[in-house]
Amino acid sequence: MIKTEELQINIGPQHPSTHGVFRMLVTVDGETIVDLVPVFGYLHRNHEQIAEVNTYLQNMPYTDRLDYFNSMANNQAYAMVVEKLVGIEVPERAEYLRVLMVELTRILNHAGALGFLINDMGAWQTPLAFGMREREKILDLFEMASGARMMCNYFRFGGVVRDLPPAFMPLLKDLLVALPAFFDEFERLLCENEILLQRSEGVGVLPKDLAISYSVTGPVLRASGIPYDIRKAEPYSIYDRFDFDVPVGSVGDVYDRFLVRVEEMRQSLRIIEQVLEQLPDAEGDHINPKAKQNVRPPVGDAYARIESPKGELGFYLVSDGSEKPYRYKVRAPSFINLTPLGDMCRGYKVADVVVILGSIDIVMGEVDR
Amino acid sequence: MYDVVDYVLNTTFNLGAAGWVVSLISYLMIATVLFLVAPLQMLFLTYYERRLIARMQDRVGPNRVGPEGMFQPVADAVKMFTKEDIIPAAADKWVHLLAPLVVVAPTMFMFAVLPWGPGMTPIDMHIGLLFFFAVSSISAVGLMMAGWASYNKFSLLGAMRAVAQMVSYEIPAMLSLLAIVMITGSLSIVDIVQWQGGLFISSSDVAGVPNWGLGWFVFNPVGFLAFAAFFIAALAEGERTPFDIPEADSEIVAGYMTEYSGMKFGLFFLAQYVLNFLLCAITAVIFFGAWQGPGVNELYALGITPDNPDGNGWFNVLAGVLGAFYFLFKTYAFFFVMVWIRGAFPRLRVDQLMDFGWKYLIPLTLVNVFSAAIWVGFNNWGANEGFGFAEPLGDLGRWAVAFVLTLAINIAAYIVMTRIYGETRRVTFDEQLADTAGLPS
Repeated sequence: MIKTEELQINIGPQHPSTHGVFRMLVTVDGETIVDLVPVFGYLHRNHEQIAEVNTYLQNMPYTDRLDYFNSMANNQAYAMVVEKLVGIEVPERAEYLRVLMVELTRILNHAGALGFLINDMGAWQTPLAFGMREREKILDLFEMASGARMMCNYFRFGGVVRDLPPAFMPLLKDLLVALPAFFDEFERLLCENEILLQRSEGVGVLPKDLAISYSVTGPVLRASGIPYDIRKAEPYSIYDRFDFDVPVGSVGDVYDRFLVRVEEMRQSLRIIEQVLEQLPDAEGDHINPKAKQNVRPPVGDAYARIESPKGELGFYLVSDGSEKPYRYKVRAPSFINLTPLGDMCRGYKVADVVVILGSIDIVMGEVDR
Repeated sequence: MYDVVDYVLNTTFNLGAAGWVVSLISYLMIATVLFLVAPLQMLFLTYYERRLIARMQDRVGPNRVGPEGMFQPVADAVKMFTKEDIIPAAADKWVHLLAPLVVVAPTMFMFAVLPWGPGMTPIDMHIGLLFFFAVSSISAVGLMMAGWASYNKFSLLGAMRAVAQMVSYEIPAMLSLLAIVMITGSLSIVDIVQWQGGLFISSSDVAGVPNWGLGWFVFNPVGFLAFAAFFIAALAEGERTPFDIPEADSEIVAGYMTEYSGMKFGLFFLAQYVLNFLLCAITAVIFFGAWQGPGVNELYALGITPDNPDGNGWFNVLAGVLGAFYFLFKTYAFFFVMVWIRGAFPRLRVDQLMDFGWKYLIPLTLVNVFSAAIWVGFNNWGANEGFGFAEPLGDLGRWAVAFVLTLAINIAAYIVMTRIYGETRRVTFDEQLADTAGLPS
């Protein structure tokens, strides 16, 4: 038996496809991965510590920067935890607007994530360009509503900062008509592509028990075959009013994660359609007028969690009664979903590493806080 | 070229130049033209590819420098020349310097045997085809040199992938060409092109077919399978998607080119695009008749040829221009397909690439060699070779029998191989688990 020498490679921190500054210390035997250690912390910017010297409201725009792909979802989780801590009621229309924005965020996140995943497989940007094209339309809507494309800062304690402008609804309705065609196109182009199947089937398998013991959440967990979605398991906001399905994979490989995301986009579309049907038509009801923004919560702590597009996003706040949080902790889905990377990659090829990493869908802003 | 120079010097100007002078002048002219053509092709190809792929991706592409961005490649070249040339401190300096040259030089040599038009093959070698591919595989050495000398793990991985890929895909490429060479009985590229006259049926197979220059090999079952296999192998040799594994930018940065900058990187880039052009060109030559097309042969017959020394030189020029147009059109059509594939497909993994080459393409091309033998037997062999029973069928009948037989064999081989390959392809979930369970955690 020929003994070959093992080679250690640093993939990252500066590498075209590590989705930000992230290092993987890979030990390879030829092309096969023997071991992989994810090393993060290059983007650490003291997020939690800084949040403790800001007032509660000042932290709202700061949460945008966590997962800059889904600022709306981050806003919602943070608004929810403060509302829980202080005890603020949220009006009906505001809840609908929140759900609308977060579900749009889910579509744009998955469109981008799938584009990047296929880019990592080596398709030269075309699927990414298709995904980005749809994302752009949603970003236009966000800009209309909040004034910013990515760093939306749209949520406030007790509602959202302003109501939708009149031009919003026609554009949204156009988008809802156009989106199914995009999903179909995406599916037709890629889901049965032989090369994509070869690259993703049976690659990066995350078995059920391992997924649970790593406390993985979101599409990655559901692809492993566990129908766990916080929107169903512990309905927050008004998710109990909508009719939608939770797509579940069977094997837990990259292909399942791909399919779960495609299906989740369709389900988000279903939710948005129901939102538009049920949206109460009360102008000015977008925020609770009694809710103060410069809150001073009573002494205590609270934890609120939502199903962000990437998984369970939770905020934990401890209040000492002042205008600033005593402790502020983020449970970031990207960070926790990233931890089983070594186990998912072991035994596969170097080329699979980037695909597996892409299928987890991480944003480094959230991993290193 | 010799004829033209001879005509100009000795007939038009009556200089009475000796034969070796004419040879020297004609070879120098050829060399100059070829060394100018290669970089110009590369400049145009980069622009062509970028514009095309931008169209496929909802973008515009380079459109700032010059009209419609035509001068973008020139700007890029200027940038390449003016950039700092960095040699890593730990690199093997000389090998690092030599590697780009070893990669570029063979691609220039390969132009020597390309037929641009009737009588316009720079050098008509008897083993032109062999020369072409023998020279092309030299660049694998250069890639390994680049990967090794850079003292970079990504470079080394890229170089190993590149060499493994080039070496293993040369086999199906050669086997598919072997089928063609069996039919023509010659390794000379000029002969191969000449064979492809006719009208869907080569006039060399069946006498009396009108010679419209359309008897391309791709129109017969042997040639078609050989073409499909060869084009796939060419994608792998030219490191194009879905086989751009050696320089997979999302995995190993830029493969063997990682540590190169400035004009050395530019040379690798040049070599790659020129190689892609050449592979498209050779596909057009072998399977699509190179310059063969309606009108070329008729025009050429009126010009100065060995058979017709009193012809009009202008007809040579006309036939050459038309032939070169057909040839370049076919070549760019293939390059378009390459770009199209790049715009649409993800990349294969290195083990899947090897699987595909060794387990699928090679058996398929071997069957094709068998079909080629049947083709040759029915079309060219007589009673002496034991094919007397086929003679009553007549030329066209023999051709038809060969067509049906080879078509049946090739389709059957395709179906069987696809089924076998499809079965072995998927690694099941259990196997995958067993794989990971055995490793130390």
